[in-house]
Amino acid sequence: MTNGTDAILTGEPLYRVEGLTKTYGSGPTAVHALRGVDLEIGSGELIVLLGPSGSGKSTMLNILGGLDAASAGHVWFDDADLTGCDDRALTAYRRQHVGFVFQFYNLVASLTARENVALITDIAADPLAPEAALAMVGLDARLDHFPAQLSGGEQQRVAIARAIAKKPRVLFCDEPTGALDSQTGILVLEALQHVNQTLGTTTLIITHNAVIADIADVVWQFADGQLVDRRRNRVRRTASALRW
Amino acid sequence: MSHLARLDWLPVLDRKLLRDMWRLRGPSFAIALMIAAGVGMVLMSFGMMRSLEATRDAYYDRYRFADIFVTAKRVPRHIVADLAALPGVRLAEGRITAGALAALPGVAEPINTRMHSLPLSGRPMINDLVLRQGRWPEPGRANEILANEAFVQAAHLGLGDVMSVILNGKREQLQIVGTVLSPEYVYAIPPGQIFPDNGRFAILWADRDMLAAAFDLTDAVNEIMLRVESGTDRADLIRRIDTRLASYGGTGAYRREDQISERFVANELRQLKTMTTVLPPIFLAVSAFLTHVVLSRLIDTEREIIGLLKAFGYRTAAIVFHYLKLALLLSLGGMVLGTLFGTWLGRGLAVMYQQFFVFPFLQFRIDPDLYALALLAALGSVMSGCLFAIRRAAALTPAAAMQPPLVAHYGGRIAAAIGQMRGLDELTRIILRGLVRRPLRTLLTAIGIGAALALYIASASSHDNVERLIQVSFDQAKREDLMISFTEPRGPDALAALGRMPGVLRVEPLRAVGAILRHGAATKREGITASTPGADLSRLVDIAGRVVEPPESGLIVSTALARSLAIAPGDHVEVEVTEGRRPSWSAHVIAVVDSPIGAPAFMSIDELDRRLGEGARLSGAYLAIDDSQRDEILRALRDTPKIGGIAIIEASRRAIRDTIAETMGIMTLFNTGFAALIVFGVVYNNARVSLAERSRDLASLRVLGFRKSEVAYLLVGELALLTLLALPIGIGMGIALSHYIVDTFSGDLFTIPFALTPATVARAILVVFTAAAGTAWLVSRRVGQLDLVAVLKTRD
Ligand SMILES: Nc1ncnc2c1ncn2[C@@H]1O[C@H](COP(=O)(O)OP(=O)(O)OP(=O)(O)O)[C@@H](O)[C@H]1O
Ligand SMILES: [Mg+2]
Repeated sequence: MTNGTDAILTGEPLYRVEGLTKTYGSGPTAVHALRGVDLEIGSGELIVLLGPSGSGKSTMLNILGGLDAASAGHVWFDDADLTGCDDRALTAYRRQHVGFVFQFYNLVASLTARENVALITDIAADPLAPEAALAMVGLDARLDHFPAQLSGGEQQRVAIARAIAKKPRVLFCDEPTGALDSQTGILVLEALQHVNQTLGTTTLIITHNAVIADIADVVWQFADGQLVDRRRNRVRRTASALRW
Repeated sequence: MSHLARLDWLPVLDRKLLRDMWRLRGPSFAIALMIAAGVGMVLMSFGMMRSLEATRDAYYDRYRFADIFVTAKRVPRHIVADLAALPGVRLAEGRITAGALAALPGVAEPINTRMHSLPLSGRPMINDLVLRQGRWPEPGRANEILANEAFVQAAHLGLGDVMSVILNGKREQLQIVGTVLSPEYVYAIPPGQIFPDNGRFAILWADRDMLAAAFDLTDAVNEIMLRVESGTDRADLIRRIDTRLASYGGTGAYRREDQISERFVANELRQLKTMTTVLPPIFLAVSAFLTHVVLSRLIDTEREIIGLLKAFGYRTAAIVFHYLKLALLLSLGGMVLGTLFGTWLGRGLAVMYQQFFVFPFLQFRIDPDLYALALLAALGSVMSGCLFAIRRAAALTPAAAMQPPLVAHYGGRIAAAIGQMRGLDELTRIILRGLVRRPLRTLLTAIGIGAALALYIASASSHDNVERLIQVSFDQAKREDLMISFTEPRGPDALAALGRMPGVLRVEPLRAVGAILRHGAATKREGITASTPGADLSRLVDIAGRVVEPPESGLIVSTALARSLAIAPGDHVEVEVTEGRRPSWSAHVIAVVDSPIGAPAFMSIDELDRRLGEGARLSGAYLAIDDSQRDEILRALRDTPKIGGIAIIEASRRAIRDTIAETMGIMTLFNTGFAALIVFGVVYNNARVSLAERSRDLASLRVLGFRKSEVAYLLVGELALLTLLALPIGIGMGIALSHYIVDTFSGDLFTIPFALTPATVARAILVVFTAAAGTAWLVSRRVGQLDLVAVLKTRD
């Protein structure tokens, strides 16, 4: 398994980030959410982002995901500079390449699990079947349930299925286990890890739970708007082995 | 919200109130608009109606419009004083009234004129005139006349112009020295017709002695007008007058209500009232509905706050009061706006109709009670609108309120069925389930949009109906080119003489007599029209265009007459002819016919001649002519003695269309605007609420890579479906409303057919869709302003 991971790491970086800065407001009340971040993300890597509240993790992820615009600096995705893109181009980028998983699931309440996934596969070029995506997260038995009829963990796994069904190049997860108990959280992480390994989807997970860092290839530590530490795990643990 | 920072002195709940108001400014704008329209409509329509009625009454009063009219062959002048002495009579005045034909230099078409004598003193005591231009005739100048303003304007004449009038066979050159309005000619309707035709009908007031000489009425009059004390038994007075005048050839006294111009004015005002009172309830209902939607949604989102407040010890009454205040505040702007708008529009419309009716002045006023009524109605609509929502807030227990809302549940059979539908994309599924989840709101929204459709259909269909009326009346019923009336009944040789005129293709007899019809206690003065079976030019035609032949014996009556006399086929009515030897008999009612125009009572010429016992007599003739010889024929007829009137049918057809088009045009224009306003209010409100409820879904979809246009489809598609749903509802309501309006419009002057065309329905749909599309576009632009990041930070 270590070999396999190494092989992926030799590839070209998927993202290159240079001097990324994000400032909210101006003058004395300005908030510097990111103060010049430089980094690279290799294709297929699973990255865990740690850092105290307010350190700029979500801001970073939102800019990488094309949801927010940087104040200065550059983000290259392959050879495209995302920081210069308008809304239309960013929408196309999200649509083709990016999957999101959020703390509060953000499922459409009026669609069943299957339909929530189909929502995305309908607009994707070469998607998985919704049923297959749901099977990957272990939900093949709850296809026709509405979100209100599912537990939090199940909803989050539907969200993961929805995110991976279009076989995105990259998956951004902002505190995917934040609203879940540890047992359910581990189920969700297992699903993420499974997708990363079987589909080779580059995955970025924000968490407050340092234990989760053990499943990562690379761990980033954010503080005060800067990347203060990055380390590579020699061994990746499987999610099922985690305890907290 | 820094502008709200200085509100520390307010109780906290009231501060919340003001912030809610600010937050809800979008939807509350729509509510305010509907309330403004509702309040405005109440003020406008009632204000305008009352003003017009007050104006008419003041006009009649100031210019002493007669209460009772009497016509006779020849009444010695001293009899007028006798009538004045009858109990209850305040004033009586006699005059000479006669029909005549006139010519204008260079115009072949004859002008039908009615001449009235002016008293020696110059100014009439009864039916006084409003001098608009020029001066009163100089006493003793026999060739000076006054003419009604409408004619002078329509015929493009001016002061100093001379008309050549044939008075009882003798040509007189009369000079117009002044133009006037008269309360008895608010509508100037030519004899034998039922619509004004101002360019071809002149009313002239002339020197008394000149007319007396011409018509051999020295020291006599042939028309008497009376003003009576209020509270007088008019029926009794009319009986006394008729008895007194029987030996002078009296044709029966009649009241002001039966006078043709006043009948027309009353009919017109009644129609106006129908049209204008349809609107306010629609707007008030729509604003009630919008209030309901906005408040229900607010209370849904504030369940937890309500629970919290209650848990902290706020009493239910305080919470109910809080939301009531909010609802009131929401409607306040609309009330103020509506009050101003209604007053302004009411005055504007009243001025417009004053000009339409040509009243000499306008008494515009909106009484305080009207303001009170309008505001109470608006309050009532808002209160009923928030009733359900506030009841729900009051019923919430703290514990229940703290639990997550049940509304997120989308189970159920219909939701499952939507899941089964193939070929449906997920966005459309979202729309459908959203609509099905709130069936009441969906239905009411569709009804709201449907109301707009109905309003447009009902008002625009009037146009179709009039077209059908004209078609039936002229293509089927009045197919002659000219309608000639003799100054007095003549024998068959007159008809033969007309038939021998070069260019006359066909002649048919015209026979009409004045009569009084009685059934039980009901009495009605009407003309009886008689004709021969197989007539080809002028025929009795029912509303569907079917020809009705005259009965061998007995009477055919119009629906309106049948209603006012309470008669049905098989009944008998007392007929008393008011001309000639004044025979009376009991006539068998053969049939009741819905005839579009005129002909309230109809019988065969043979029977009428037999009853009158004067041999074959004619009142006039119908002529079909060769169009290339039209001018020669008209000139010849004009100079033929004993012809008192010539109606050119093509011209009356145009006149009818102009008259009706004018009234209806105004209303249709207004109603198109109001229909669009309703659509805007309902659609805008619905879209804003939907946007607010869905903003989380919409932003999530944007995050997932859906384009703005795809996300906007959720809003626009929902509106489109609602509008589609509104079509059958609206068309149904439109047809019903249209029938209602047709029923109230059809008076005793004419019956309006129902003839809504698909083209009108299509136009209504177009108007509604355009308004809906414009509104949807306005709201869908907000999709671009959704904050994608913010929505990810919060829980639903
Ligand atoms: N819309 C905004 N306007 C102003 N400041 C903002 C806005 N969004 C984020 N910030 C600020 O930017 C900084 C970084 O925020 P960010 O959400 O990236 O932190 P985070 O590391 O994700 O924290 P958490 O772990 O609590 O989610 C914070 O100080 C935050 O207050
Ligand atoms: Mg965060």
